[in-house]
Amino acid sequence: MKSINDRSQDIGPFVSQTDDAIIICRCEEITKGEIRQAIHDGMFTVNEIRRYLRAGMGLCQGQTCGKLVKNLIARELNVIPDQLDPATSRSPMRPMEMKVLGNEEVSHV
Amino acid sequence: MNRISEHPILGETEKGQLVTFFMDGKSMEGYAGEPIAVALKAAGLMVHRYTHKAHEPRGIFCAIGRCTDCVMIVDGVPNIRTCITPLVAGMRIQTQDGVTALEVNE
Amino acid sequence: MKRYDLIVVGAGPAGLSAAIEAARCGMSVAVFDENTKPGGQLFKQIHKFFGSKEHQAKIRGYKIGETLLAEAADAGVEVFLNATVAGIYLDKEVLVQIGAAMEHFKADTIIIATGAAENMVTFDGWTLPGVIGAGAAQTMMNLYGIKPGQRVLMLGSGNVGLVVSFQLMQAGCEVVALVDAAPKVGGYGVHAAKIARCGVPFYLSHTITKAEGSDCVSGVEISQVDEDFAPIPGTQKHFDVDTICLAVGLSPMSQLLKMAGCNMVDDPRRGGQVPQVDENGETSIPGLFAAGDVSGIEEASSAMIQGRMSGLAAAAYLGFLSEQDKDNRLADLEIALDSLHQGMFAPGNKGKTFTKTDEGIAVSQSLLKKGYLDDADLERFIHRSDQTDEKSGIHPVIECTQNIPCNPCQDACTRGCIKVGKTITALPRIDATISCTGCGMCIASCSGQAIFLVDEDYAPGYASITLPYEFLPRPQKGELGTALSRSGQPLGHAEIIDVRSAKTFDQTTLVTIKVPVEQAMTARFYQPETNAAGQ
Repeated sequence: MKSINDRSQDIGPFVSQTDDAIIICRCEEITKGEIRQAIHDGMFTVNEIRRYLRAGMGLCQGQTCGKLVKNLIARELNVIPDQLDPATSRSPMRPMEMKVLGNEEVSHV
Repeated sequence: MNRISEHPILGETEKGQLVTFFMDGKSMEGYAGEPIAVALKAAGLMVHRYTHKAHEPRGIFCAIGRCTDCVMIVDGVPNIRTCITPLVAGMRIQTQDGVTALEVNE
Repeated sequence: MKRYDLIVVGAGPAGLSAAIEAARCGMSVAVFDENTKPGGQLFKQIHKFFGSKEHQAKIRGYKIGETLLAEAADAGVEVFLNATVAGIYLDKEVLVQIGAAMEHFKADTIIIATGAAENMVTFDGWTLPGVIGAGAAQTMMNLYGIKPGQRVLMLGSGNVGLVVSFQLMQAGCEVVALVDAAPKVGGYGVHAAKIARCGVPFYLSHTITKAEGSDCVSGVEISQVDEDFAPIPGTQKHFDVDTICLAVGLSPMSQLLKMAGCNMVDDPRRGGQVPQVDENGETSIPGLFAAGDVSGIEEASSAMIQGRMSGLAAAAYLGFLSEQDKDNRLADLEIALDSLHQGMFAPGNKGKTFTKTDEGIAVSQSLLKKGYLDDADLERFIHRSDQTDEKSGIHPVIECTQNIPCNPCQDACTRGCIKVGKTITALPRIDATISCTGCGMCIASCSGQAIFLVDEDYAPGYASITLPYEFLPRPQKGELGTALSRSGQPLGHAEIIDVRSAKTFDQTTLVTIKVPVEQAMTARFYQPETNAAGQ
């Protein structure tokens, strides 16, 4: 089992930092402090942070903040970022309107 | 001026027809086919939207349709990536406020 | 649902190269690209490429892009633009948004060439309008003819940061500073020297601590960092800028490969999450390939070779190319790729510090810290005595001091005065026994703009220096301006005594200035009296 999946590990208490107010996820406006707090709440993976805070779940789908969030988790857990899985990749890869995805307005070619 | 009139390597930029569009109700000019964001940048406009939670200004960031920071309301449709959406004559562009149009005092 | 022998995702240098090779083998090929224009980032690359003849060295990126598009059309490749691949499913089914419709396609082979996305850094105010990626700057100025800003601060001294800084000045913007948290310049020294001689100051071991402004950027604060990259209080410096440009590396855009189920690895030397691939780019899924930056961040020159390799491998996979033909053709491409993978900046050497060149010469620390060679470096790298002991007259001075894969200067000199040798990362040597005609082809062929023609005997007490010039307005013969040193410091008056442009120089103007003879080895740039380039 990867050490990062070890939920019993003690990563210490959340200690606020001077730059906690900085935005990490630009779309959903999630701050560094919120993400760090979430990690101390037990969210040890990028996917968990996404679901817990919506960081990386906005319009751009984590294109900009994906690596930043991963690095934040790695630092709090004191692991190297390579050991963490990135967020799940799933369709659609780009922002698309549901009516387009459902082919509502167009007949098949 | 923000437009490059002549470039030492590229010469003159090929442009489409000069057209009129509307930015928050005001008439503006740009070249048809260039990204909306480019036409706005040429006019010196920096703020494309204000964010939903903190009401902070945002503008062009990646310019290739990836970051979605430059989204605006275009012809009534919100969340349009202006950096990759070509300008069309008569387009109505509005500053986005959260997901709706910013109220503009005219 | 339409079926193709090969579907390529991404019409950049790797994707187009792959499609061309496969189509030439007789395959039906579709290329999907989400952008309105094909070519990926090639059309934003207005500098001359490095490498050797087979890598299309000394040709500007956008022209390579034009060639690729023509080749793709000739080969019968179907390129779909505004075509966003939404997903890749079992048995190579590809879902694509084209306009307002979702279309399903089926392929027997797939090549993913989606390229890379820019990394970002955070600091106070980084979401303000006016903070942009370096790619955004290139898109605005080189594709759409618009200045990203008037006064720009660049963060990042890798090749992207250096090249884009130069391009910003070419577009008529002022670059007020180049900042990097690392203690040394990350990109090619020749790229750094190009902007240093325009007067751009380098702040290594510094980072941005604040973007200032209410509705958009009006200034920036930088601070020195300690060994752990933490800002040191009290070291803040302020610049008035309207634009902050971020060039802090790239990450492979490999989400489609992960979604398709390829085995992925996290490899910092390749830039992040990349697929496990064999030497031809085939992933853990047979018939599914990755080429270009998506399988590891490199230069466009490598991406084009990798693309060709994966295209041939896909053709062989489906039987459009015999195994023997495949092996023969791949062998040549492997040699070409391998020659790009040599030298100090090779992908395998990422993070390594070199103190000496392959030739055993101590590297210039000044170049790494300040962006330009200092006087002590000149003695080591430029053997003046070899050149002038017995001879006089015009001769080349080559300020190329790092082992980078590049050799067009060797072919440029028809008299054989410049030698690089078989290993293209070797430093060019000048054969002082051969007399120079002063044709200037070496200057125009040097992608790093590191070659100058110097004549100490131009006139009593005066030397002439011929240098590459890529700014507007083009200087005129007889014009008076200022000679600048390698660090961009004014040295005194300079008179333009010759201005040459030719088709073979490819937009590089050769400007010859007359300076006092003692500036023969110090003057390296020219600034017109009014509206100086980059100032």
